[in-house]
Amino acid sequence: MKQLHFRYEMQLELSGDVREHHFLMRCKPMENENQHCGSLSFRVTPADTIDEVEDGFGNRGYAVMIREPHRQVQMSAEGLVRVRAGGVHEACHPMYRFPSPHTMPEDNIRAFLSDAQKNYGSEFCDMAGYRALMNDLYSRFVYEPGITTTRTTASAALAGGRGVCQDYAHILISLMRLQGVPARYTAGMMIGEGASHAWVEVWHDGAWIGMDPTNNQMVDDTYIKLTHGRDFEDGTLDRGCFLGFASQNEIIHVKVEERS
Amino acid sequence: MKNLLEHKDGINRLLERYGVKFGIYKNGEFHEQLFPFDPVPRVIPAEEFEYLNRGLVQRVDALNLFLADIYGDKKIVADKIIPEDFIFSSKGYLPQCEGITPPKKIYSHISGIDLVQGKDKNWYILEDNLRIPSGASYPLIARDLTRQAAPRTFMENDVVDNRNYAQMLKGVMDAVNTGGINVILTPGRYNAAFFEHSYLAELTGSILAMPQDLYVEGNKLYYRQYEGKPMQVGTVYRRISDEYLDPMCFVPESLIGVPGIMDVYRAGNVALVNAPGNGVADDKGIYYFVPHMIKYYLGEEPILKNAPTYLAFYEEDRKLILDHLERLVVKDVSEAGGYGVVFGKDMTAEELEKWRTIIKNEPRRFIAQEVIDFIDLDIVEGDQMVPRKADLRAFVLSGDTTKVWPSGLTRFSRNPDSFVVNSSQGGGFKDTRVLSR
Repeated sequence: MKQLHFRYEMQLELSGDVREHHFLMRCKPMENENQHCGSLSFRVTPADTIDEVEDGFGNRGYAVMIREPHRQVQMSAEGLVRVRAGGVHEACHPMYRFPSPHTMPEDNIRAFLSDAQKNYGSEFCDMAGYRALMNDLYSRFVYEPGITTTRTTASAALAGGRGVCQDYAHILISLMRLQGVPARYTAGMMIGEGASHAWVEVWHDGAWIGMDPTNNQMVDDTYIKLTHGRDFEDGTLDRGCFLGFASQNEIIHVKVEERS
Repeated sequence: MKNLLEHKDGINRLLERYGVKFGIYKNGEFHEQLFPFDPVPRVIPAEEFEYLNRGLVQRVDALNLFLADIYGDKKIVADKIIPEDFIFSSKGYLPQCEGITPPKKIYSHISGIDLVQGKDKNWYILEDNLRIPSGASYPLIARDLTRQAAPRTFMENDVVDNRNYAQMLKGVMDAVNTGGINVILTPGRYNAAFFEHSYLAELTGSILAMPQDLYVEGNKLYYRQYEGKPMQVGTVYRRISDEYLDPMCFVPESLIGVPGIMDVYRAGNVALVNAPGNGVADDKGIYYFVPHMIKYYLGEEPILKNAPTYLAFYEEDRKLILDHLERLVVKDVSEAGGYGVVFGKDMTAEELEKWRTIIKNEPRRFIAQEVIDFIDLDIVEGDQMVPRKADLRAFVLSGDTTKVWPSGLTRFSRNPDSFVVNSSQGGGFKDTRVLSR
């Protein structure tokens, strides 16, 4: 068990004036048997209204609205979270059994699975098997930012052979669901990572078990979970829309540290 | 009758002048076209309407209970009445609506149920439309114009007055209203049913709002007035489809949505008519299970029949489909509006084989139905009466109670050998007259 302090900062720079700017920050850590957020402070400037919101997946955050023209937004969330390693005993919603838009099992995903099964000598049907599959993905996929985008599907990322945490997560989810194992996309933060992170939870023996295919390790008490959903789209940490003609540049800094 | 025929052209001219049009997208372009009116009405005897009424109320009540169950406890899945594949991998299922209890627990406030009458005189349900079924305004205005042109017709015959649609619709909006005004939200004049949006707003005394007229603040929804104070909105009869309704929740690029409206709805501070997420209950795969729902939720036998339907998902049904494809009609469950429908009788041997392979590869995607030989109704073409296939869209409204509008939209096919009557495929419409005795 660890006490983790986190700071999540986002700066949004717009190339022109925008108004009626709505955005959503899902920066409230999930509450479950292994994770409890004792204190949280959220600041945003400028802001006309801030409302606490929750969505159909159970993700929580703040809906912010800025009415007047502006070119910059600064936001920070800071808090203290008690985290324990281990599975989360939450019911499995049936939607996590089926492919979602970013995780459709195209032919290359199917081929990857059958190759991996051949190498492993059997189907993957327990935690040891899932770890072996994750290891396979880790060794055959290269971490490289800038190749994929937030719209890249599991199949397209796998075809390119390179990507970031989101792509690792999508591919592993697609492989898991293809075998009939429920899996969900998880976004959050971890010690030693300067940005937000994404990983996977698989449903096994009555609990959701966190697996981090980008680092080829099981999720432990160095991770803070913020959101989950069927894929990236459902669990995005921030989204927004505005009136105005501008392009935007988003700078995100995340820092997670252990406190005694 | 002679009287009616004389007025055909006059009424169509008036419909044109009032802007009673129908828009369709063809090859990516928007075309607006007139929705031709045929003066020969469909007449439904009182006793027959009473039977339809009972069957439709039963069906819509069960569908509303199903939607509350799916976005709530999911008992029908746990009890294995419907395989979860047909719900949670359906495009119409929106997990964003999980855990939301809409005002009065009504999901489908306005249901458009499409029926046909077979040559055996039995009525069959063809399709349920629980998202934003359009069409009520067409018979409404056509009746009005006919009444003006030939008032005696309605004095001398026992026709139930259908002008109550506006009161029924207003009644529904008032029943679910969470406090504030009623608005009809239209994406704008390039929508296929813009005429209907403006006409219904006028008849129900609602404000016709464009997306930019509405905004969210402090978890409440407001109508922006250009003079005076903003007004809180309690009911939105929205004529914008689910995916474009809120760019903060669904398609982020939507320009016709209201950012944050889903949060207000989740908080119980506005009623959305119809509820988002209803697509899970009206796709062609779920259709197969509606009779099961009626038994499951109401403990009753279904009064109205489905067309005999086979689900390729079930092995036994799939075998039957593959063996008898030449006599069946195959429908893609994810398509609507007469698209994705193919008839076995029109296929060459080669095409039949191709379709068998497609169905085998993607069984979840298709249903097959027996082709119902449904009745022809006479329409006027030039100086003659000619028979055309016609269906009936009944409008069922659910507020404090569930009621069927004593009228409906009768659509007919343009071509003599066509069974497809959807207005997006170029057909016309008739008045539907229910007799009072």
